[in-house]
Amino acid sequence: MSLTQTGKPVALRGLVKSYGGAAPALAGIDLDIEAGSFCTLLGASGSGKTTLLKTIAGFETPDRGEIRIGSRDIAPVPVARRNIGMVFQNYALFPHLTVARNVAFGLEMRKLKRAEIARRVEAALALVSLDGFGGRSPRELSGGQQQRVALARALVIEPDILLMDEPLGALDKNLRQAIQVQLRDLHRRIGATIVYVTHDQEEALFLSDRIALMDKGLIVQVGTPQELYFRPANRFVATFLGECNLLPAPSGRGEIGLRPEKTLVGGKAAAADIRLDGTLVSAVFTGTGYRIAATVSGRPVTALVANDDPAAMLAPGSALPIGYMIGHAMALGD
Amino acid sequence: MAIPEPPPARPSPAAVPAVAGVPAFAGIPAVAGMPVRPARRLGGWLGLLPMAVLLTAAFAVPVVSLLRLGFGDGGLSFEHFRRIAEVPLYRSILATTLTISALTTLLCVVLSYPVAYLMATVGPRLRAVLVVVVLLPFWTSSLVRTTAWIVILQGNGILNKLLMGVGLTSEPVAFVYNLSGVLIGMTHVLMPFVVLPLYAALRALDLSTVQAAEGLGAGPATVFVRVVLPLTAPGAVAGATIVFMNAIGFYITPALMGGPAQTMISQVIADNVNRELNWGFAAALSTMLLGATLVIFMLFQRAFGLERLFSGAGTARSGEPFRLTSRGRSAGGVLTVVFGLLVAVFLIAPILVVFPMSLGSSPFLSFPPYDYSLRWYVNFFETSKWFNALIRSLQVAGLTVAGAVVLGTAAAIGLGRIPARWRTAIETLFVLPMIVPVIILAVGLYYLFAPTGLVGTIWGLAIGHTVLAAPYVFVTVRASLKSFDPSLELAALGLGASWATMARRILVPTILPGILAGAVFAFITSFDDVVLALFLTNIRTRTLPKLMYEGVAHEIDPTIIAAAGLIILVTILLMLVNLLVTRRRA
Ligand SMILES: Nc1ncnc2c1ncn2[C@@H]1O[C@H](COP(=O)(O)OP(=O)(O)OP(=O)(O)O)[C@@H](O)[C@H]1O
Ligand SMILES: [Mg+2]
Repeated sequence: MSLTQTGKPVALRGLVKSYGGAAPALAGIDLDIEAGSFCTLLGASGSGKTTLLKTIAGFETPDRGEIRIGSRDIAPVPVARRNIGMVFQNYALFPHLTVARNVAFGLEMRKLKRAEIARRVEAALALVSLDGFGGRSPRELSGGQQQRVALARALVIEPDILLMDEPLGALDKNLRQAIQVQLRDLHRRIGATIVYVTHDQEEALFLSDRIALMDKGLIVQVGTPQELYFRPANRFVATFLGECNLLPAPSGRGEIGLRPEKTLVGGKAAAADIRLDGTLVSAVFTGTGYRIAATVSGRPVTALVANDDPAAMLAPGSALPIGYMIGHAMALGD
Repeated sequence: MAIPEPPPARPSPAAVPAVAGVPAFAGIPAVAGMPVRPARRLGGWLGLLPMAVLLTAAFAVPVVSLLRLGFGDGGLSFEHFRRIAEVPLYRSILATTLTISALTTLLCVVLSYPVAYLMATVGPRLRAVLVVVVLLPFWTSSLVRTTAWIVILQGNGILNKLLMGVGLTSEPVAFVYNLSGVLIGMTHVLMPFVVLPLYAALRALDLSTVQAAEGLGAGPATVFVRVVLPLTAPGAVAGATIVFMNAIGFYITPALMGGPAQTMISQVIADNVNRELNWGFAAALSTMLLGATLVIFMLFQRAFGLERLFSGAGTARSGEPFRLTSRGRSAGGVLTVVFGLLVAVFLIAPILVVFPMSLGSSPFLSFPPYDYSLRWYVNFFETSKWFNALIRSLQVAGLTVAGAVVLGTAAAIGLGRIPARWRTAIETLFVLPMIVPVIILAVGLYYLFAPTGLVGTIWGLAIGHTVLAAPYVFVTVRASLKSFDPSLELAALGLGASWATMARRILVPTILPGILAGAVFAFITSFDDVVLALFLTNIRTRTLPKLMYEGVAHEIDPTIIAAAGLIILVTILLMLVNLLVTRRRA
């Protein structure tokens, strides 16, 4: 199948959506997603990720704001004509239809010829490595297989954009990782615009071209995984994505963020730009090294050190110098 | 029927609530993986014994001896059956019975979809109102509903006055005493059997499957045909089967609301017993009716399992239940809602009409009344025939509740203690009185009791009612026993309690809600029954429904409406009791 489609860009402007509760589920979302890119919405539970996805798909109507796909405002376009593929968190396979009929559904709606439908269904199932499963009922599939059917069903209609709501949420860790790899390869091959929801940050870092971090119905920061990790806009982003030590800024105003792998302890701290007095709380063996927990004037600090680091051998309660290079300190906006 | 709201129901075959979410009551071993000890097993059989004796003596024996008459005295003769097959009149009655039942079933299904859709897609407050709108008529005596419909539909009835008042028609339209009357009455009585499982099926429908279909390009009509319909069809078919099975045995509604052309098989059975005194022929017709009913019952059990009879739609739900999203309704959705509201009005109309009407003061029925008074209620209590009938109804209902609760509870407890392989069979036999058309039991008991002098006493009637009511107690207690952890019993015995102490202090308190719900059903079964009362009581021992029936068949006067109002009040009261009981159980 020639699934090499180039997706369309998505532009969201001032989206507001309230379910009538005190705080709106979407409190004014602005977001640009490039054509063919993989954009992940990341955020805590209840931050509005699903709502945003459903609003883009057209299942919910926004109170205010604009959704443009390509150059077209899609507000007046009914769901059935939007040509958006959606993979639901619980897959939402039609339980009364076989796998093949599930995948064929969207093509039947587009009134394609029967032979064409059969050809495309077969190709789509092959794409997700489910050749030969067409005759089965969704009930007879494992979770990962169902997930791939849902993906094939969404892809086969060659959507302008593909929306996925925590599609791997129900799977175990090994299967998740296997499918993550497949998903990334697939995205490279088909080049569709993908908007992906997860609250697993490793998954977000692994898959995404860009990550949009959401909190309380707002997008806090958008950028590449590296940008979000190394240049967090504020304390929320810094602590949400990966681990982060918060230390008083050397200037005395505000705080800086410091990643544990950039945090120097013991002898190494002596050569650091900034040196602080700390106390060792514990050193836990993690296999690849030790994870040092310490305090610096009451603040918890975590550092990752190699297996042969002498700091790991100290007794808890011992004094432990802590330090970092100025270039590694991340300025936090507020 | 298992619907998300507390599921009260009125006593008819499919009407006993199951503990929500509890699957099959058939064949679940009470003590999983634990062998049934011999003493326990003996106790189990002892518990089953009283109900088995009653059902043998007052159900199996009368029904079988009646059916036996259909095959001639002495040898085996098929004369009566040949006559049914050959005489065009009887062939046409069979055809009428099937046609009316099929039309009723079709109407029930078609009208139920909009209501179920409406219930599933409105806000919680309106939904609660709609649940009451569906359940209240469900609980109300079908005689009361039929009476109300006649008042609404007859020549100088409310509907005709309304139509002529606004100038839509210039003379009365014949709505009743013809096919439309029978269909309106039967559909109204039977529709809740489809609405409730259908509503449960709609709520069990995962919203995201509907959205997935839309996202793939399906419009509202296509979504309905290709996704909603196939996924809710099992619920609708289950309900429709129950409706059809009930409809072919209907007696009261066609007798009161139909004309000669709508004579159904039950009426012919009654007629042959009462007027022609042709017992053999009545028996042959009963055999056919019973055969048809049992075949449908078996098909139902095959397709859906016995438990479905008591628990509505069984599909487990994953994801968000089907509801209305902020996108609003499509044009078709709006149309469906309007239609659903009309059907809701249809469901509640007879009950809404009875009350104000019973409060009028003129000797002629008028709606709305010119002025309000309690005159006809006073008349009801001051006229000895009405007051005595009420007292007699209460006596019979009291006896029935006592008998049914004791027998049904003992049997339900006993069933969990016998070897698992016997359970499904016994359970099926014990619920048969809920399935067999009442007319057959009535005629059978009449035949059996007449020589013994039990006909015309409240005892004979109470025995008959207990046969009908004990299965309801049996089923509700079975359902509540599922939440009784058998290790509690072992723990109590292990702590030194005797079995009686354990039962009193541990077992009965746990299953009390089930017993109470069963008692409510037993009361209603007895208090509303007309058919058994028609055959088993006489002018001195007639019950309230029988007296009402005689009045309605003759002419409806305001006291009858007052009696109907009283019955509705009692019904509402019982519905509240049941609601409280189910609330506490949940
Ligand atoms: N149908 C609804 N009715 C009312 N409130 C809703 C509804 N759906 C979501 N909300 C509310 O909107 C807010 C955002 O919900 P949303 O489902 O978008 O969160 P989410 O980021 O997807 O969370 P999760 O990671 O748990 O899936 C929450 O506060 C939620 O309670
Ligand atoms: Mg979500």
